[in-house]
Amino acid sequence: MLSSIKPNRWQATPENPGGFQNMEQTAIHHGRHGLARRFFATFVARETGILLALLVICVLLSFATTGFLALRNLLNIGRQISLLGIMAIGMTFVLITREVDLSIGSIYAFSGLTTGILLVKGWLLIPALVVGLLIGAAIGFLNGLLSTYGKLPSFIATLGMLSVVRGGALLMTEGQPVTINTSQGGNPDVIDQFYFLGQGHLFNVVPMLLVIFIVVAIVAWFLLSRTVFGFRVYAVGGSEKAARLSGIQVFHTKILAFALMGSLSGFAGILSLAFLPSGQAGRTGVGLELDVIAAAIVGGASLSGGEGTILGTVLGVLIIGVLRNGLVLLGISPFWQTTVIGLVIIFAVALDKWTESRRLK
Amino acid sequence: MLPLFCTLLTAQARAEESSTFTLSSAIKERIAKESGPIIRVSYHDVSNEFAPFIKKGVEKAATDFKADVKMVGPVGADAEKQVAEIESLIQKGVDGLAISSVSTDALAPVINRALAQGIPVVTYNTDNPTSKRLAFAGQDLVESGRIAGKLLAETLGGKGNVLITTLDAAAQWSLDREKGAREAFTKYPGIKVLATINTGTEPQQIYSSVENAMLAHPDVNGILSLECCSTPAAGNYVQRNGLTGKVKIVGFDMLPETIKLVQGNVISATIDQSPEKQSYEAVRLLLDVLKGQQVKSVDTGAVVYDSKNIGDYVIASKQGS
Repeated sequence: MLSSIKPNRWQATPENPGGFQNMEQTAIHHGRHGLARRFFATFVARETGILLALLVICVLLSFATTGFLALRNLLNIGRQISLLGIMAIGMTFVLITREVDLSIGSIYAFSGLTTGILLVKGWLLIPALVVGLLIGAAIGFLNGLLSTYGKLPSFIATLGMLSVVRGGALLMTEGQPVTINTSQGGNPDVIDQFYFLGQGHLFNVVPMLLVIFIVVAIVAWFLLSRTVFGFRVYAVGGSEKAARLSGIQVFHTKILAFALMGSLSGFAGILSLAFLPSGQAGRTGVGLELDVIAAAIVGGASLSGGEGTILGTVLGVLIIGVLRNGLVLLGISPFWQTTVIGLVIIFAVALDKWTESRRLK
Repeated sequence: MLPLFCTLLTAQARAEESSTFTLSSAIKERIAKESGPIIRVSYHDVSNEFAPFIKKGVEKAATDFKADVKMVGPVGADAEKQVAEIESLIQKGVDGLAISSVSTDALAPVINRALAQGIPVVTYNTDNPTSKRLAFAGQDLVESGRIAGKLLAETLGGKGNVLITTLDAAAQWSLDREKGAREAFTKYPGIKVLATINTGTEPQQIYSSVENAMLAHPDVNGILSLECCSTPAAGNYVQRNGLTGKVKIVGFDMLPETIKLVQGNVISATIDQSPEKQSYEAVRLLLDVLKGQQVKSVDTGAVVYDSKNIGDYVIASKQGS
């Protein structure tokens, strides 16, 4: 792959009008065969493992409890995991580029509460949503800048932002809960539309939050596995040096991944306020980052970069959601539930590491 | 017998300590010069939904008593941060401290240290019974749990299956209220407590926990929420699933969502703990100590609101702001 790079690769020439851009496409072209085959083998094996684990848990629960397989319970699980899932999808992109974002719980609160405040003040739905999403994207962009051009490890940059953004949300709301209602000039029709996003049902059956999660997952799957951006994300995480040498703008790719993560966190925060019409800057989204990272990791994404898929992450989120629900249905004490979920995370990743060498052969 | 004896001993020890507390000479001098006393009110989490109410009481006290009174405390319930801040306040010099503790054991030593240096300390909202604090201004938590349990039992006609929900089943305030509630339920043999649900503090988590618990126990007739935040979540769940009237709810505190759900008869009753009054009374206690008076703990009470009298609260809070 690297041997095909010529000294003039950065310059546009009559034969190569796009400069390095063309070289990158060559890299994609060449890379698809070798890399793709390896990825295919790796991920098929990995996702089958996660899927099997999920099925085993489901079968056990359907025997051990009465309500687990009821359609209503399954749809509830779907709804309960949707916000976590939307964020875990964003996290998958960031983790693949070998970065991490700890500030997402704070972004979730800041974006959601901002959109909420605007709606309460009488803004229309779309502008209020756009402002919330842009705030998320902007904070993500800043996270990206700090972690690339700013030369900070993303762990530190986003740990700082976790506090900065949480503080911002507290300052903005003065610690008061934000409750969506019409008492301060909010437009009742707009608020009904907003509620539909969070509380409505498609065909009166499927919760809208679940529908939105599925749409986000499909779009993200396409983005990650069928576009140049997706390829770059894998390339950057696989080997930053190789990616740079083959003409990929490593920093820009990472910044984009952070911005995507930020807007998805903001989106989830907005939806959370549409579901529960009240949020509070001191509590909304606190600690979410750990659940989100855990779900992505259980789904096969790796903290050392280059690995992860949308399907895997969706399965990881499902495992955590099904376990939470199942443990309650089984009547297990809340303190045990926390312990069991922690053990599952450790077990899932350990299993993955132990089988890794075999899979890569 | 032994625990009782120990309690008596500590109570006696405390009574002696509080009577032997002496103001530091530095504070005496400052007060004599008639510059308004400096009082800091440390709240265990300035970012939670109560903080604005506590702050209101602090601000009211500052104007009413013409003193330099300010609220301080950590963002997020963090014992170490609270202790560190109080230590630096002691270092800087204050004339009185009102403290609502993140954790009893973590805060007791710093409270005792302040007292030993002649700085008066009272507790409010969340008491610190192991420390030698001079007095406490707040709700009797066990009693408030008893009131809530009795209310729910009576709303249910003395018969039914009950879930208890709480943000933090292991926290002292939660244990106290749960104890009171369970005590009250023992007087109604028809009431059965199915489980205590620990919901966690994140809003979506709280709702999901209530939802999962209700699916696991389809035979529930009543929910007793022990705090601010699972109260509206239980209300929302019941309302959205057509269970209004079938599942009765009794909860705590006066969040806007809770008020709306009480007005709509989804929540049968909610218990106010007047947080403004707690911080206000704490400051008053400290000023009394500075004047050389003996102080006693103040019970700020528990007011029950249902759909009949909640209008009074709404009107009063509008006039207040």
